Amino acid sequence: MLQKKICMLGGFSVGKTSLVRRFVQSIFSETYLTTVGVKIDKKSVALPGKTVDLILWDLAGEDDIGSFRVSHVRGATGLVLVVDGTRAATLAAALTLRERVEAEFGAMPFVLLFNKSDLADRWEISDSEIDNLRQLGWQIYLTSALSGEHVDDAFRQLASMVTK
Amino acid sequence: MHRLPKEVGSWIYNFFYNEHSIAYVKIDAQLCIAAKGGNVKHYGLSSLRIGKPVTDQLEFMEGLLPCPELPYHMAMVELPSGRVADLHLFADDDCVWLLFLDATAERDNKQRLQQKAYEMTLLQERERQLNEKLQSTNEALRKSQEGLSREYQRAESLLLNILPASIAERLKAHKKIADNHAEVSVLFADIVGFTERARSVGAVTTLAILNYFFKAADRLSERYGCEKIKTIGDCVMVVAGLPTARSDHAKALAHYAVELRKAVKRERFAGEPIRLRIGIHSGPIVAGVIGKRRFAYDLWGETVNLASRIQTSAEPDEIRISDATYQLLGPKFACDPLGETELRGAGRVRMWRLPA
Repeated sequence: MLQKKICMLGGFSVGKTSLVRRFVQSIFSETYLTTVGVKIDKKSVALPGKTVDLILWDLAGEDDIGSFRVSHVRGATGLVLVVDGTRAATLAAALTLRERVEAEFGAMPFVLLFNKSDLADRWEISDSEIDNLRQLGWQIYLTSALSGEHVDDAFRQLASMVTK
Repeated sequence: MHRLPKEVGSWIYNFFYNEHSIAYVKIDAQLCIAAKGGNVKHYGLSSLRIGKPVTDQLEFMEGLLPCPELPYHMAMVELPSGRVADLHLFADDDCVWLLFLDATAERDNKQRLQQKAYEMTLLQERERQLNEKLQSTNEALRKSQEGLSREYQRAESLLLNILPASIAERLKAHKKIADNHAEVSVLFADIVGFTERARSVGAVTTLAILNYFFKAADRLSERYGCEKIKTIGDCVMVVAGLPTARSDHAKALAHYAVELRKAVKRERFAGEPIRLRIGIHSGPIVAGVIGKRRFAYDLWGETVNLASRIQTSAEPDEIRISDATYQLLGPKFACDPLGETELRGAGRVRMWRLPA
């Protein structure tokens, strides 16, 4: 059985839990319920010639990045970095979390999600900023857990990256 | 537990076993489940099979073993069953023990507090964003208001150049404008020999001449309280007695005509002073605005037609007035009688000449 541990990383209230719920159960709730500790979900993804079970670790997004428990990421083969497109500061938070994880466990595949793309009028991230990150060769998606836009694409992309 | 009194030992056992539903799983060197026990049912782990790989049965163990940093603790892990457990991993010879301690209540408690704190932080962030947005919106609004008021003043002054002020006000209020005026005087004036002279001096000079003529007509309108209604080619149409009625409309327009004749003579057109033919008639008219986008304030009625006919019949330098106008002027204006003359479309008309 092909099984991969994936960690959801990002500041608080960026939509990590909602993205997992959208991807695993195809549902969305407007109610914000903060995650404490870890929530674990599983979703099978069919790729050309194989099926992989993604074990999704939905880690609590911390207000204070310093209190993030890097040890939870042990054993992970890929990361989903989540940014709230309506809060510019959450980009720095996601990038810092990735640095901390890489310092502990080395580089691993990741996708970068700019979530809440449905809130266009409150969007704070410029196109040029996103383009600059794409220039680095990063896999970047503008997602909406509310509408489901690009959510599957992002997870499937990561699934194929971690099974290469 | 042999160093603790029996009572303490039993309390601890009760605390973990009953209060925190302790359960364990023993994992062998092949990473298969070697044993299980305690309150496994509480975590939905009753169906774990001995001798089978642990990661197939406990998905959260994927990637964790072998683990170089034992003992290893993961706080508040929500299991697929919905139970929340503190997980403790520790080694014993070549086996690894995995302990489950229920933390559902602690997690829920912490979540309530954390939730409040985050919601507060989010509200503050949102407030800051909205304030910033409000400020920039206000700034933009102020700028566009300034622009608008400049535009408005420009439009206002343009409109007042075209229409009498009281008519412009009513037009802005989207009122229909068609008024009967029982008593007004209407003047027409045009330049003698305009077409031939225009041909000889060229377009640019001609335009300058017209500009001079119409500017004089505007300036005198203001001075005598008349309204320049429009220009048609080299002809100007002026009215007195509207939009506000006045009893001395004929006198005002007579003075106007004399001054206009005097004013244009100062300018030369193809080598000679400009000369006008002027005609005035008094009577009732209808005034109104027609058109929507390129609107015009204009006058209609027999009075207008006859004034135009009289003007056409006038001699160069002559101010020719109808009998109706003459009667209104009174004895102070010593006019020369011209007798009755046949005018096209009006029959025989009695006319007078205003003295120089």
